[in-house]
Amino acid sequence: MDSKSYRLVILSLYIAMALILSYVESFIPLPVPIPGVKLGLPNIITLISLITLGWPLTILVVVGRVLLSGFMFGNLSSISFALAGGLLSLLVMALLLHFSKNSYSLIIISIFGAIAHNLGQVLVAVVIVQTGNLILYFLFLMLFAIPTGIFIGITARELLRLLNKTTIFKRLNP
Amino acid sequence: MKKKELLIITILLAISLGGIALFYGLNATDQPLSVRVSRAGEVLATLPLSQEYSETFKDASGTNTLVISNGQARMTEADCPDQICVKARGISSPGETIVCLPHKLIVEIVTGDK
Repeated sequence: MDSKSYRLVILSLYIAMALILSYVESFIPLPVPIPGVKLGLPNIITLISLITLGWPLTILVVVGRVLLSGFMFGNLSSISFALAGGLLSLLVMALLLHFSKNSYSLIIISIFGAIAHNLGQVLVAVVIVQTGNLILYFLFLMLFAIPTGIFIGITARELLRLLNKTTIFKRLNP
Repeated sequence: MKKKELLIITILLAISLGGIALFYGLNATDQPLSVRVSRAGEVLATLPLSQEYSETFKDASGTNTLVISNGQARMTEADCPDQICVKARGISSPGETIVCLPHKLIVEIVTGDK
């Protein structure tokens, strides 16, 4: 298999895994009185994809996962939300990764990604209900984004450490 | 975890917790409170928080039932798929909100009786 098709296979696997994780996540209730707080399991895949495939292909991972899960389990408004959150989160994480090239911390990148995800969704909500009164809601989301972001960051870091022992990624960057 | 990571996490926690405390502090008041219901920016009703009250708001997108009791406003019923507004906890302090995005509805606690 040449390098281009190999990348395509890995990309498809990422989208499939992120899709499953976003489905699994909907079955995990969090003991939190704030609606809309989620673990952010698909972000494990986004983080790993950012590091192994780079940001241009990771846009496809995020958009592909959001559109597929939207068509299967959601509706048009849930797609616009997930897209705003997912893409803003990706932008922030890609910039952080870019500016801390060799000494990056997946935990920090993951936390900022989670906060950016919430910010994107709250901004869409502000446009839809036409209110500026969601600052308190955003602050609560940000508070819970910190522990979930740490959890996702540690999971992604450990997963990447294990995967780097295999030859899976060796063929990506020959 | 490294020192730098802990420092950033502490700063972020301080920002969010401090922001929440500041928000409640700035909005604290002795004045009577009201519940304001709006759809897409248009105010539908302003109701006193101190009275027992219940109303169903209806439009083409669907229905939401608001109940005010014991100085707390809750959404008890909605026919939207996500049910996020129904799961939200009751609100009673100025600036708190319940949002129903599919119906573009927002319930806010505001200061003053109108």
